[in-house]
Amino acid sequence: MPPEDHKAPAELPRPGHSRRDFLRGSSLAAAGAVMATSAETAMHEARADVSEADGVEIFSGSCPIELKVNGEAMSVTIEPRSTLLDTLRNRLNVTGPKRVCDRASCGACTVILDGDAVYSCTTLAISCTGHEVRTLESFETDEGSVPQSFLQNDALMCGYCTPGFVTACQAWLEKNPGKEPTLDDIKQGLDGNICRCGTYIGVFQAALDAAKAMKKGGA
Amino acid sequence: MAALWPDNPRLIGEGVPRLDGLAKASGRAKYPSDERPDGVLFAVVLHSPHAHAKIVKIDTSKAEAIPGVKGVHLIANEGATLRYHGEEIAAVAAESEEIARDGCRAIAIEYEVLPHAVTEAQAVADGAPQLTPRGNTQAGRAQEDGDPEAAIKEAAASIEGEYSVPVITHVCLETHGQVVRWDGDTKMTVWASTQNVDGVESEMAGAFNVPATDVTVLTPVMGGGFGAKFGADTWGVAAGELAKKTGKPVWLFLDRIQEHLTAGNRPSASAKLTLAADKDGKITALIAETAGTGGISRGAAFPLPYVYEVPNSRRQHTDIRINGGNARAMRAPGHPQGCLIMESALDDLAEKMGIDPLQMRLNSLAEQDTVPSGAGEPLNRSEIYRDQIKLGAEAIGWDQRKPRSENAKASGPLKRGFGMALHQWGGGGRDDKQVTCIINPDGSVELRSATQDIGTGCRTVLAQIAAEVLGLNTTDITSNIGNSQFPPGQASGGSTTTPSMAPPAYNAALEARDLLFKRIASALDAEPGDLEIGKGVILVKGEREVPWKEACRKLGTMPINVTGSFSEGLTAQGVGGCQFVDLTVDTETGVVKLNKIVAVQDTGLILNMMTWKSQVYGGVIMGLNYGLFEELVMDPSTGLCLNPDMELYKLAGASDIPAIDIIPFDNEQMRKRGVIGVGEPPTIATAAAIGNAVANALGTRVPNFPMTPMNVLNALAKA
Ligand code: FES
Ligand code: FES
Repeated sequence: MPPEDHKAPAELPRPGHSRRDFLRGSSLAAAGAVMATSAETAMHEARADVSEADGVEIFSGSCPIELKVNGEAMSVTIEPRSTLLDTLRNRLNVTGPKRVCDRASCGACTVILDGDAVYSCTTLAISCTGHEVRTLESFETDEGSVPQSFLQNDALMCGYCTPGFVTACQAWLEKNPGKEPTLDDIKQGLDGNICRCGTYIGVFQAALDAAKAMKKGGA
Repeated sequence: MAALWPDNPRLIGEGVPRLDGLAKASGRAKYPSDERPDGVLFAVVLHSPHAHAKIVKIDTSKAEAIPGVKGVHLIANEGATLRYHGEEIAAVAAESEEIARDGCRAIAIEYEVLPHAVTEAQAVADGAPQLTPRGNTQAGRAQEDGDPEAAIKEAAASIEGEYSVPVITHVCLETHGQVVRWDGDTKMTVWASTQNVDGVESEMAGAFNVPATDVTVLTPVMGGGFGAKFGADTWGVAAGELAKKTGKPVWLFLDRIQEHLTAGNRPSASAKLTLAADKDGKITALIAETAGTGGISRGAAFPLPYVYEVPNSRRQHTDIRINGGNARAMRAPGHPQGCLIMESALDDLAEKMGIDPLQMRLNSLAEQDTVPSGAGEPLNRSEIYRDQIKLGAEAIGWDQRKPRSENAKASGPLKRGFGMALHQWGGGGRDDKQVTCIINPDGSVELRSATQDIGTGCRTVLAQIAAEVLGLNTTDITSNIGNSQFPPGQASGGSTTTPSMAPPAYNAALEARDLLFKRIASALDAEPGDLEIGKGVILVKGEREVPWKEACRKLGTMPINVTGSFSEGLTAQGVGGCQFVDLTVDTETGVVKLNKIVAVQDTGLILNMMTWKSQVYGGVIMGLNYGLFEELVMDPSTGLCLNPDMELYKLAGASDIPAIDIIPFDNEQMRKRGVIGVGEPPTIATAAAIGNAVANALGTRVPNFPMTPMNVLNALAKA
């Protein structure tokens, strides 16, 4: 694979409404049209003003929504433009997922949305109502778990990319139960994540070990 | 005088998992950027959209009027000159980040845009805008040794070469920033993502004119620095101002764009040089004109000649200023640049002479390259290099290497090549740092120091040392670091943290142990001299075993609290290493694919083999990025940086990582040296070795780093 392509996130499906689409939308009606029903209601309830600055139209205004995070129902007031990541971190104090690139290129913000690994920095919070959000804080941490496997293989240094890697890993394993991945599978599965400290070698081993443990546990 | 490191350690040298590893891997570790104190406001920085401009007018009234905006702080005022895209202008604090961003957008600024110079060519061109009163260039004093002209004339062979590497940036994953809370009028708590807890404390104290003891800087964990996070920075002070103004804690972390533009870079380097050797293939002379830019600041100097002994040399270096962000120390400052220039030229000369470049390196090592050795005899680093080269050559399969001429003739578009390079680093410790060791009557043990763990595993290594001395497990020790109120700790720079902090940790533990013996001996019906440490027990007269906790209970209500400092003999400095690369280049696409990297590294006494290896892997991968991907791209016409992000600023992802073989150069003699830091050395030689392997594969030198398809294809087109 040419190095130019290495950032393409492998198998990381996006939820329906990304921040970019949203900001590009030029009217409240257009944005409303793509909303899920519950979110739509929320939108209507919100006193969303469209203010103009720098030629960019921005939706602001508060918008109370319900989110299911790590199995818990949470009420939170956001703005229509608030990302899932910022909502988790700034409003719900769920700070496991990290904000690094904020533009879908590094994976540090990865969460599991209805079973799929997604970049929460480019997912609108409002589009997640009625869906299930899981962050790494909810993962098992005992022997054989993904976090434990990262610890045992020193698959982290500063640890700031680690939540993203752990989450991508967990999502991959859940999607491929019982499969023992090859090193190439692992590399592909984690190609949507970047580590600046250079912990990849440990991360690969951690993923392989966790897969093995999961297979054993599941068998 | 304290004892030397134990001869037969139980824990030291073992691979011990990080104490905070599970917290980090489960999202529970709270980084400074994760702190949300009660009532916190979010702040956003507004930065210059121009490469060079004057602020004619600035009006913040609209921003202040936005509901939810709680404070605006000007970093640059009317009349100020902005010198690069990304320079800070103002910071806005609001109830949410979204609103703070709106606030930044609502600040009305009238600029007088000035002509810019954002490339070195623009900065030195006739009629270039003058970026400082003293001009855009500053030539250093020429360094001279011997008579290089004469030596070149007498040489058996010489080459003239030009090599360059661009400006890159640190890309710490946690951006720069702080959360500041005023606790009353003078007291301040600062959660800072810093590699210099003590330094940020004194900077904030100075900026706000409060006693340093009233400032508490907390950095329990932090998301990478690589040399860029030593200071409080203008935005840290802005956070303090906003917190003061609003009476609320203020969270301020840069966004990714600002992080790239303003939070530091590694300067570029270029050289025009002549390198000559005698008939035996030993380098005899070097004449080099070098230059580099770190942006608006200076600091583009780098060592040359590098590693090898060059009896006759002259080097003239020029620092160039451009309208770009500031240079900051970055992992082994200067060395990767000096290494790749020296090693490229050496390889090209060997090629011209038809000598195996490995042999030419052996020939050109100094006869004596003396480095200190903790408690033992000084060592000759050249001998260490020779041994390392042997190990590395074998691990990479150097005997499969063919000369460039043969590779060039090989059929098909895929060409395989081998390359190598050598590096060196200091890495010694400072002698003014301290660690406190507390043994509580309940048997719990705590270490305290103001140093921080930038990701190297410092927290774990200190605990490991105390556990070794006290016969406990590493997990029994609480390693409390990253708090500026604790005894002075070393900043994480120059690979000095572990060698500065390990000796005081060791001494503190030894003193605490001795004091424990003294205090509990009579309760155990013994003399202090009768007591010894066993595994989890105190041994009385070599036979009776008292469990650790039970023994500590004899302390009554008074814990033991001692502070250890540095002592001689526990650390040394001056390491070397070599790296080898095996890769394949596609001559049709210009894509370089790494097959394998081998890194051989010495670092004296290795305290934790697991975290040690991680650092070497990490160094190699950062070097791999330097060799293959990284480049800050400035647009000459608009003066803007074109890739302040993580998409067009390329970094290796999982699929780019080849097989990497780490060979610790770990033997009795090395262990006797004591502790030496390892963060920086292993990142130095990688890019140079990659460049040499590319040249070997293609049969022609790619003179401009990184080895991107564009640079590779350009070189092939010229060949
Ligand atoms: S922060 Fe979301 S992908 Fe980087
Ligand atoms: S561990 Fe620091 S960025 Fe991955």
